[in-house]
Amino acid sequence: MSACLLGEESFRQCCWRFLKLSDRLRDGWSWEPLQGSEEGYMRKTALRSVSVNSGPTWNPHGSRSDKESPASCHCAAATEQADVDGTHDDLDPGYDDGVVSGGGSRVLRLEYHILYSCSYMAPVLYFRASTLEGRSLSLDQVWSCVHPSFRSRLQRSPLTTITQQEHPLLGQPFFMLHPCKTEEFMRPVLQLEREQHGQMNYILTWLSAVGPLVGLDVPLKYSTLQPPASPPEACLQPS
Amino acid sequence: MNPKEVETGRRIASSRSGGWQPKVRPSTKMSDNAESPNEPQKEELHSPPEESMANEEKKKIDVLLKAVGDTPIMKTKKWAVDRSRTVQSLSQFISRFLKLDANEQLFIYVNQSFAPSPDQEVGVLFDCFGSDSKLVLHYCKSQAWG
Repeated sequence: MSACLLGEESFRQCCWRFLKLSDRLRDGWSWEPLQGSEEGYMRKTALRSVSVNSGPTWNPHGSRSDKESPASCHCAAATEQADVDGTHDDLDPGYDDGVVSGGGSRVLRLEYHILYSCSYMAPVLYFRASTLEGRSLSLDQVWSCVHPSFRSRLQRSPLTTITQQEHPLLGQPFFMLHPCKTEEFMRPVLQLEREQHGQMNYILTWLSAVGPLVGLDVPLKYSTLQPPASPPEACLQPS
Repeated sequence: MNPKEVETGRRIASSRSGGWQPKVRPSTKMSDNAESPNEPQKEELHSPPEESMANEEKKKIDVLLKAVGDTPIMKTKKWAVDRSRTVQSLSQFISRFLKLDANEQLFIYVNQSFAPSPDQEVGVLFDCFGSDSKLVLHYCKSQAWG
């Protein structure tokens, strides 16, 4: 059984296709090149309002709260273009259902980077959170951004899942979602696509699956939009 | 005919038969508590009076669950699900149904390759990806992230 690994060229092609969709949806992802080379990474910054009370419930923009979960607060997300220089100090993202509990809330600035790992031949998600004043948050504090359905599982094995690492390109501390299981959980759906001769985008599939772990919303529209005209090469290269 | 009377009739029939008959209806009502098809019938008691086999009021949608990879195949694949049910709730249901371990992760994919947000409502997924009056969802289990 061939491994379902992502070659570096395929990574770039998938990112290119993904960014076209992001531009159409105005979802805020951008490509950050590495000193003029072909290499680089994708980046997005988002604002999220979280309750200061303990036991927060993550309720992303555009969806009703799940009636089955005890919601002590609602959290809303807004997308900020990566090149905005922090002019959104007062949070007014213009979302429809942003409701904040009376217990008080604060706004977090979440920054997500998608890099390519040569070792694992897979994308890796790096992220960091800070307050609007620029104070970085600890891992304990970012748990509020993790979707409740994943929280307990992640907390059981936190060190092997979300770890704090030095960003390979920026040299700054980021949290990283460890890629060691990426190939394993991607393999079945990739094989399904092969059998069905579908045209999936590895990055989109992967990001939609890992996004909820880190409070990143990947809108459904990514999947409903027609894919952009892309280079004829297949996006996925089997190893 | 009053839908409530129809529903009452079905409940009585179910309890008399003493079992759960997935093949009697085209879609099985998905409840919050169902453990497996062999459990004593519980979900009928909780089904709302508006339930209609033809789903004419569009309160429920038909969902077809397909296993991916080595994931166990559910004996009952076709379910009638409330539109407002979330992906997370559906995932929990399937996990309980398949008796997954605590360290196993269940993924649900729509359109074969996109994992919808856990808070996404299945009604919205049906509107976007439904065909032939049903929504096809692929589910896949994997070991936990760590």
